[in-house]
Amino acid sequence: MQKKFNSDRYDPLSTERDSLSRRHFIKGVIAAGTVAGAAGLMTGCSDNSNNSASSASVERLVTINVNGRSRPVDVMPNETLAHTLRNKLSLTGTKIGCDRGACGACTVMIDGVTQNSCSILTHTVRKGNVVTVEGVGGVNGQLHPVQTAMIEELAPQCGFCTPGQVVSGVALLQRNPNPTREEVRQALAGNLCRCGAYNNYINAIVNAAGSA
Amino acid sequence: MAYKLIGKDFTPQDVRPKVTGAGKYTEDFKVDGMVYMKMLLCPMPSANVTSFDATDALDMPGVFGVLTADEVPQVEEPGFPMLTNKPRQLGMPIAAIAAETESIAAEALEKIKVTFDPQPFVLDPLESLYPGGTNALDGGNVTGGNIQGKEGVGGNKIHDFKWTARDFAIAGDEKMPMGEAPVEWAVGDVEAAFAEAALIIDEPFVTASSSHAALEPRSVLSYWENGKCFIHGSSQSQSWMMPGLARMMNISLEDIVYVAEYCGGGFGSKASPYPVQGMTAYMSKKIGRPVMLRVTRAEEYHFGGQRPGFQGQVKMGFDKQGKMTACDLYIVQSGGPNRGSGDYSSAAGAVALVYTPTNMRFRGAAVVTNKPWHVSQRGPGQNQIACVIEPLLDKAAKELGIDRIAIRNLNAPEADVKFTNRNSTVTSMFLKDAFSLGADLFKWEEKKKMSGQRNGSKVIGVGVGTAYHSAGSNGFDGLLSIRPDGKLYVHSGVGNLGTYSYAGTSRAAAEVLQCSWDNTVVLRGDSRQGLPWTLAQFGSNSSYTNTRTNFVAATKMKKMLQRLAAQELGDAPEDYDVANESVFHTSDETKIMTFAEAASKAIELGGEWDGHEYPDDLNDVTKSAMKKVVGAGLVSAAKDKIPKEGSVPGMATGYCMIELDTETGKFEILEYHSVADCGTVLHPKGLEQQLRGGAVMGIGEAVLDRVIYDPQNGLCATVGLDQTKPPSILDVPSNMEMSAVDKPDLSNPLGVKGIGEPAMGCAAAALLCAISDATGIYFNRTPVDPDMIINALSGRPQSFKPLQVNT
Amino acid sequence: MKDMMPSFNLVQPIDVKSAINLLTEAGAGGWAIAGGQDSFDWFKDRIKRPHTVVDLSGIDSIKGIRETDDGGIEIGALTTLTDVEQNPIIKEKYGLLSTASGRVASPQIRNKGTLGGNVSQDARCWYYRSGLDCYRAGGNTCYADTPEGMNREHCLFGASRCVAVTPSDTAVALTTLEANMVIVGPNGERIVPASEYFIGPAIDIERMTVLEPGDVLIAIRIPAKWSGAKFYFEKVADRATWDFPLVNIASAMKVSEGIIEDISITCGAVECVPKRLTVVQDIVRGSAANEETASLAAGAASRGASALNYNHFKIPLMENLVKRAIRG
Repeated sequence: MQKKFNSDRYDPLSTERDSLSRRHFIKGVIAAGTVAGAAGLMTGCSDNSNNSASSASVERLVTINVNGRSRPVDVMPNETLAHTLRNKLSLTGTKIGCDRGACGACTVMIDGVTQNSCSILTHTVRKGNVVTVEGVGGVNGQLHPVQTAMIEELAPQCGFCTPGQVVSGVALLQRNPNPTREEVRQALAGNLCRCGAYNNYINAIVNAAGSA
Repeated sequence: MAYKLIGKDFTPQDVRPKVTGAGKYTEDFKVDGMVYMKMLLCPMPSANVTSFDATDALDMPGVFGVLTADEVPQVEEPGFPMLTNKPRQLGMPIAAIAAETESIAAEALEKIKVTFDPQPFVLDPLESLYPGGTNALDGGNVTGGNIQGKEGVGGNKIHDFKWTARDFAIAGDEKMPMGEAPVEWAVGDVEAAFAEAALIIDEPFVTASSSHAALEPRSVLSYWENGKCFIHGSSQSQSWMMPGLARMMNISLEDIVYVAEYCGGGFGSKASPYPVQGMTAYMSKKIGRPVMLRVTRAEEYHFGGQRPGFQGQVKMGFDKQGKMTACDLYIVQSGGPNRGSGDYSSAAGAVALVYTPTNMRFRGAAVVTNKPWHVSQRGPGQNQIACVIEPLLDKAAKELGIDRIAIRNLNAPEADVKFTNRNSTVTSMFLKDAFSLGADLFKWEEKKKMSGQRNGSKVIGVGVGTAYHSAGSNGFDGLLSIRPDGKLYVHSGVGNLGTYSYAGTSRAAAEVLQCSWDNTVVLRGDSRQGLPWTLAQFGSNSSYTNTRTNFVAATKMKKMLQRLAAQELGDAPEDYDVANESVFHTSDETKIMTFAEAASKAIELGGEWDGHEYPDDLNDVTKSAMKKVVGAGLVSAAKDKIPKEGSVPGMATGYCMIELDTETGKFEILEYHSVADCGTVLHPKGLEQQLRGGAVMGIGEAVLDRVIYDPQNGLCATVGLDQTKPPSILDVPSNMEMSAVDKPDLSNPLGVKGIGEPAMGCAAAALLCAISDATGIYFNRTPVDPDMIINALSGRPQSFKPLQVNT
Repeated sequence: MKDMMPSFNLVQPIDVKSAINLLTEAGAGGWAIAGGQDSFDWFKDRIKRPHTVVDLSGIDSIKGIRETDDGGIEIGALTTLTDVEQNPIIKEKYGLLSTASGRVASPQIRNKGTLGGNVSQDARCWYYRSGLDCYRAGGNTCYADTPEGMNREHCLFGASRCVAVTPSDTAVALTTLEANMVIVGPNGERIVPASEYFIGPAIDIERMTVLEPGDVLIAIRIPAKWSGAKFYFEKVADRATWDFPLVNIASAMKVSEGIIEDISITCGAVECVPKRLTVVQDIVRGSAANEETASLAAGAASRGASALNYNHFKIPLMENLVKRAIRG
């Protein structure tokens, strides 16, 4: 009953199978494409000397609007918004729980719409208004009613998903000031909470609705 | 007793930073010169590294160093290595690289030339027990038990252990082979009891492994300053981490600084020091820079821990009234390539206590496999077995024509229960009160009548579930200081898992000293604050354990205040009482010292008053903390020596009604109610959180959470949250009701017991029972997926054999 | 094992023509992203490593929803799933697509992910996504279709070396609505019916759609034919959010006085392409929309299904969903 890993069929460390020879076309162009040879790719690719595309890549030095302020920042072409916010702008309230858009801990609003900042390139939001958990309250540090209600409801447990829940809740109240319990539930459907504080988050947002 | 603080809601200090995003988790720290580390993980389930060359990686600009297995302490099988050249699981770290950015580190990793010699691997414990079956580790396949040596459950040795081909042949595919058991105990005579039983239920079962999947992966930041090793960790525990980290780094306790103010969930997987913490600190030491390790979600699945799955057989005998007269339980527990946990043994203990079978035999084997590190997860053992036994108890009730709460009540323990071969006892027991309250609140009799009601393709199912955990410990230290600012400082070594028990238990000290909560400060989250020794924040123990430590330290503090006042103001200590942040003469209002005055006086006096002298029976961690507290004010440190006999039973019951669609296998949970026996309620909102949160995780255990490995090549199909499927907000009811019996456990000075773990098990069991009630099918397997329900209801066979794993 | 986005050049054209030029120029090293919700996974796994990523999100001409002269609608491929779900015209006339869009992944993903991206996403087979050298990845084996393969989510129909299924919720709706896909490539524009847009492994094992090098899906046109019909969409998945279908179904029926005059019905996650249930259509057309007709159709729907080790539940599930769609 011995099993051996079949190394002939699969060498996970090999990059050979990425070779271009197998790929003759661009696969499903929207949200899909073709692979390129891995060799030679370096960071700082805007000045990548072996770049096969003649068009210049995006300018790295950009200004993005975050929490009502214009923030100049040096952004790599492949950089996600979550990375920019956390590592370049020190807005660490935005959490990275999965980096794959599967948990919602990194939820921010872009022009009032919730998005997973781990799954957005910063360069695609240059024109947008980004609001993070740090920016939902008043300018003088007042809490947003959703935050106040979450404190009263003792909604957070470990707290890691909480910033995402706050942002989803605030965004909901902005477009629907008096949501039903079911509407709150649907609005939070992209925010996982492993501690299971879902009921408390719903309670808090419903409670906040009156005062928001 | 009328308490001022105990049993009242309050706002813990860390709630606001959680809702504003200001709370700093490990990944949120940034220190000067910090570089990032990434790990090279083993890409196959078992291998030996035959060559390793990092030259090209080290040549890359921005790369600061590589750390290999040769540079870190090695552990013997079945320990879990920090870095190894003999990886025995997919995703086990081989080496680490530190670079200016994570992107550079990731590219550098691809430049390391490493060759692996693939080794045989095994994922299914039964396969490993078959004659000639693969052993996951070089030294064998079974941990613990009485083989060769004489060590017990959870032992440190690994043994080569096989059943006979005849054991397997007799069992066939439908039953568990009954080979020799490494662990075995018995009470009474099960065979004789089966001979007389009115009803026998004899079923094989499988409970899946599942990942803890805390939302924060276990990131680490480490740096060295003035010979001290700083570690910022994501952990459930605070003081509990200290001795292990010191051993891991081979330095003294005094030289470890541990910071863990916030932790994004653990559920058992971040209870004790873990290898990547050491790895990061060794890298930092090697390259002389602060190092941040940001663990990714997939990595967390590989080495963040898994609940051990069970394969087993349970045979239960009942008399006509429904009393369980015999229980014969055999559990094979799956492990990773590590020592594993005592889940199987705890499961047996839970059966013995919750159902009090007159005769019982337990047999068990803990088998290692080439899957991830297996470790306790919320309700380790008790919750898996609740998922197995509870639906079968319903089956027995149905066949005997007994109400399902009645059969539980009939078999439920009283406070004088003696259980298992050790004749274990409990400190209190109010399970029957919980059933009675639960039946009322849930309106069991009414709901029961709805069971089986059909509406088109939908059918109603109703279920009740029970779970237990030994929820309290003793013998740890309490530490308090009253400072010249007039405030009471509670030094908490508990950790911050998100249960707020660090805060709830600190209120015990304020209660004893009649100090307002506004003037009570909890010091926590950073060992430089001077934090006393206490148990890890696991096993639902914190509420019980630390109300005791804070109670003893506060009682001592009160006596110190009385003595100090008597000494300074005259008369006897008994003439003084403590309240309103002062110690005052009970019949002479001119004789009064405020906390501020007492603190200043203590500093002036030194000696026993300000922490210069302290009891010798304190743990080394507390002694080390005293050095940071000394001279801060009036200081009280004490070890909890209050008597305690037996297990502290946290008991929870869950009641559930579902509407199941027979055409899709999907269902909606219409109602869920949980009633706990957790002693005196310490913190009502905190209790609600635990019961609700436990219910959500229990729903996951029953029907959603999974890990899947490919038997062909040992690869993992479940490395994302969309694949392991923890419950979302839409998979659970939008409102769940919670209540508690609220009767004190007299072994705790404030009557408190823990509850976090059974809160999960009772919900999982109640849901499984409701599914069985709706469908008439007992699946004997978790998670129950829609495909299992559809297959069963459409008269098709299941896709897997009864004891097959990895489905 | 790998989890870090590799470097690439990012270019952001503002019109379709330059996008196509950029893709053509980049050749095999090019990759177009719409919402990016599928692409970033491939990048972070370091399995797909384009030199040049062409971000289509700045091309306003391929966003938005408008009514067409023939009474149908045209949806720009870059329109987000949320906009599709909430659009009043779509809700009123093509509620099937609105419902299907609303069942994709999570709110955040629907706010970013596009309709064009959702119908063009790659196969979700976990072996393929692990970076294994399976047929679809250019190798010469299938890990799922073996005696021990973990293939609960895989196909019942149309296996041809590969057993992956279409994971899209909107694809079944669009197929049922007989939508047309507007594609622009280096050689100009062409229009492909949804039923031909999706391709199975027998036609090309390395892609899921007809898109060729340099092609961009710019719009989806829905004809007036099924406007206001009686719609049924259902997705059965393990979780109620952020999950792919175990099986999904989309149907449109024209019912008059209880008689099914016409029907279009498609089942997803049972084949590499949305499976048009033409046999079911033939059986029920002209029959009463009742349990009896539904049962008759359900049995025929799964005819020819070939189950793998762990997915035979999809046969009764598919039959039940057909039944539910038809009995209404």
